[in-house]
Amino acid sequence: MPMCVLNLQRSYKYMMYATKQPSLRINQADLKCKNGCGFYGNADWNGYCSKCYRDHLGFEKQKKQGQAQLEKQKSNAFTKFEEKKKHQSDKKSKFLPLFRKPSNLKELEKPHRNSDLKHSNPDADKLMAEFMLTFGQLSESLRHDFFKYIQVFIKRIQTDINMNKPIEDVTEVAQKYYNTFNNGLNTSSTFKDLPSDVRDQLLDFFEKYVMTILFSSLFCPNSTNDEEKDLIIQERIRKLSWVNAHHLDCCISETSIEVRDLVYTAITDLLGMDSVKAPLDKLNCVVKCCRSVMEVLQHCQGGPASADEFLPALIFVVLKANPARLKSNILYVTRFCNDSRLMQGEAGYYFTNLCCAVSFIENLTAKSLNMAEEEFDAYMSGQITCVSAWESALVACEGMHQLRENLNILKDLSQRTTIVQEGSKMLREDIEKFKNELNETVSVVMERTPLVIKPRKSPISLNPHHEQSGGATDVSLRKHDFDQSEPENLNFYHQNLEIGHLNDYTKENLQLDITPCTLIAENASTISVEPTPEDHSHNSFGLSKINYDIDFSDFSGENSMVEDLTPERISLNVTPDPFGPLGTSSAIFQEPLVPLNTSLNVQEKTDSAKSKQQYVLPLVEKLETTLLDEDETDIQNLPSPMKPMSSYSGFSKQGLQIPSIPCNTGDISYLNAHSNASTSSKDDS
Amino acid sequence: MSGGPYNYSYIFKYIIIGDMGVGKSCLLHQFTEKKFMADCPHTIGVEFGTRIIDVCGQKIKLQIWDTAGQERFRAVTRSYYRGAAGALMVYDITRRSTYNHLSSWLTDTRNLTNPSTVIFLIGNKCDLEAQRDVTYEEASKFAEENGLMFVEASAKTGDNVEEAFLETAKKIYQSIQDGRLDLNAAESGVQHKPSTPGRNNLSSDNQGSKDNCSC
Ligand SMILES: Nc1nc2c(ncn2[C@@H]2O[C@H](COP(=O)(O)OP(=O)(O)OP(=O)(O)O)[C@@H](O)[C@H]2O)c(=O)[nH]1
Ligand SMILES: [Mg+2]
Repeated sequence: MPMCVLNLQRSYKYMMYATKQPSLRINQADLKCKNGCGFYGNADWNGYCSKCYRDHLGFEKQKKQGQAQLEKQKSNAFTKFEEKKKHQSDKKSKFLPLFRKPSNLKELEKPHRNSDLKHSNPDADKLMAEFMLTFGQLSESLRHDFFKYIQVFIKRIQTDINMNKPIEDVTEVAQKYYNTFNNGLNTSSTFKDLPSDVRDQLLDFFEKYVMTILFSSLFCPNSTNDEEKDLIIQERIRKLSWVNAHHLDCCISETSIEVRDLVYTAITDLLGMDSVKAPLDKLNCVVKCCRSVMEVLQHCQGGPASADEFLPALIFVVLKANPARLKSNILYVTRFCNDSRLMQGEAGYYFTNLCCAVSFIENLTAKSLNMAEEEFDAYMSGQITCVSAWESALVACEGMHQLRENLNILKDLSQRTTIVQEGSKMLREDIEKFKNELNETVSVVMERTPLVIKPRKSPISLNPHHEQSGGATDVSLRKHDFDQSEPENLNFYHQNLEIGHLNDYTKENLQLDITPCTLIAENASTISVEPTPEDHSHNSFGLSKINYDIDFSDFSGENSMVEDLTPERISLNVTPDPFGPLGTSSAIFQEPLVPLNTSLNVQEKTDSAKSKQQYVLPLVEKLETTLLDEDETDIQNLPSPMKPMSSYSGFSKQGLQIPSIPCNTGDISYLNAHSNASTSSKDDS
Repeated sequence: MSGGPYNYSYIFKYIIIGDMGVGKSCLLHQFTEKKFMADCPHTIGVEFGTRIIDVCGQKIKLQIWDTAGQERFRAVTRSYYRGAAGALMVYDITRRSTYNHLSSWLTDTRNLTNPSTVIFLIGNKCDLEAQRDVTYEEASKFAEENGLMFVEASAKTGDNVEEAFLETAKKIYQSIQDGRLDLNAAESGVQHKPSTPGRNNLSSDNQGSKDNCSC
């Protein structure tokens, strides 16, 4: 019962729409041919199916025959002209015989061949590859026959085009040839044994291939006003951009995101129609689009869509898509798509619907949209501008897109930041680990091999309590003697004293403060000996010793005092890192030979004597103190002023202080003062 | 619009590209109709327009494809780059983001067109001087670095719109004259048509010479 009512309502609605032109609701019967042959009709065929339309045309044509005859005569003049041209070009081409293949067939074809064939056509090449893939297993002779059909067809159509025949005539030729080929497929000995689906495929491929090659001549041909029609409908659809689903009485919800996405899919499918070349491919785009429209409807209604609702939805999609060259595409498909494909089946049905949608759009009035005339006019003239939900959704879409784009950038950035952070964390850990390892290694090494510096000579001879004062005085006195009598010999001493400037006697400002210490240690034996050439050669040795005093990091056996240590002691070859963390290398105390707190202003010579005094004192007092830790005192009895400094921080730090060591070699007087001072201090103690 | 089928000797194919809302459709409309379309709906996919112009005494039909700026239709619009003789790349001088995206548009153009394609950069909406966000100097430097022709135009006032389209055509025509652009190449974006409103394959000498190298 309710079904009946619904049907009634529908037919009522349909009748209502039917009273005005055009209508949104179309009876299935309306899609069929006017002649009632059962095939789908088409507005472009005046409502006939293509077959009946052509019959109808043929009838009309006969009437016009007389006229055509006249025209032909007129064009004869042109044909002659053309032949002349052809002749010329043939002549011309003889100049380049190298490039011509001596094929007779080719020769014959040449004048007719259109540029499309001569120049590489990437689409055709692609199709060819496709062919070899699909039909590669077919026999050679079969393929040969197949391409002969293709060659003949192309040649025939191009002849017609070149003769500037009206497009309708070309269409007729093409359709007839499709038929011929189809018959050939079914009857000729080469093809008829093939399975029917392969024959179907061959038929489709035939159409695709020839149309791809002839596309530029047959699509939107110059002899027609198709392009103008395209521009008109494009402008019209643009003007109708305000039309929404509600106006069309269709259930598409413009605000739902899923629906919008589906509509977009349908739109994209439809837009694809202009990008492909073969009529069958264009038809496929229409089919895809219409299937998507069906899906939209299904989604909106939550159930299968009826044919009644389909057309308004399709109109909506066409309006929103405003497909490029819409008319040209429709006309091209109606003209050159194999009739047998277009007049029946799903493709035929959908294509007919598309044609209806287009003709609805072309002819729609205020009435067909169920709105007041004034309102409609106001919309059309742009007086009322409304931003439809669709339009704003589009803008929002782009906004969303931008947002997404930016979010992606941000995400990427944050990812990279995380990576960097992790990296730095790892690095920090590594540093920490390395530091600990180093500390451990160093302390292990230190424990294993404590640095022991053994006095070079038995300190007994230099007993500070009994003999040192005498010895020291001796040294300084002798030195003084040398200074006065034999300046060259003085070098010997200075070489023992100076750092890096041993032979630079003139460098007056550089005077090592360690004089007493070194002298004591060194000269205990040598001082009594007259300076000999050997002694001079020995100088470098003395230098190294001084070096050692300055830089403890240099433990190379030959250059350091360590050479004098017992073998066990020498095992302290492990070079502590002078740049290591503070305090870790505390086992090796390297002092600049002068207490830090002592002012070493070399320039002020008056002060230097004083500072010598301050300096010398520890030598005497701390004769028994160790260079190393207190607990190693037992092995430490080096008579050195080098005071253990826990703040040792490697040579780099130390380096700052080294140049400031007063080395006032020029002024010898201080030596006296110095030795005097040491003597006096000795006396004091 | 076209007085007859053969009243021009060349067809040049153009594409107009650029971000959404920069005024591509308005530029095309201004060029073809000499009118400003104030409330132009967003382009979906592509639209097209034609106009016959005169370059060096030759009648040339411009077939201009106005593409959608929206990312969603990029797949559709990309298929129109192929075989374009001229590409008008548009940005909006009042919106810096549209300028920033130029490099990606340029990449697309370079990838999808042939090397002889003339690329023309248009800074649109130059009537909105007060809202300017991209200086002339900056854009002109960008154009120079990338070997593009450049002009600031306004679809609203019509300033420089004609010039942009015509200059592009001139450059393409020069390329043909110099032989840099091969008319016979499949995707040159230029079609040669006999200017005589005649019948038949008066495809002229051109056709003949083409015969020579076909084998
Ligand atoms: N002031 C001013 N406004 C303009 C100009 N050109 C375009 N507009 C405005 O900018 C807006 C967008 O113009 P459209 O031509 O639709 O932009 P489009 O580049 O085609 O955008 P899509 O089709 O979405 O890619 C419209 O509202 C126009 O009115 C101009 O030169 N000056
Ligand atoms: Mg647009």
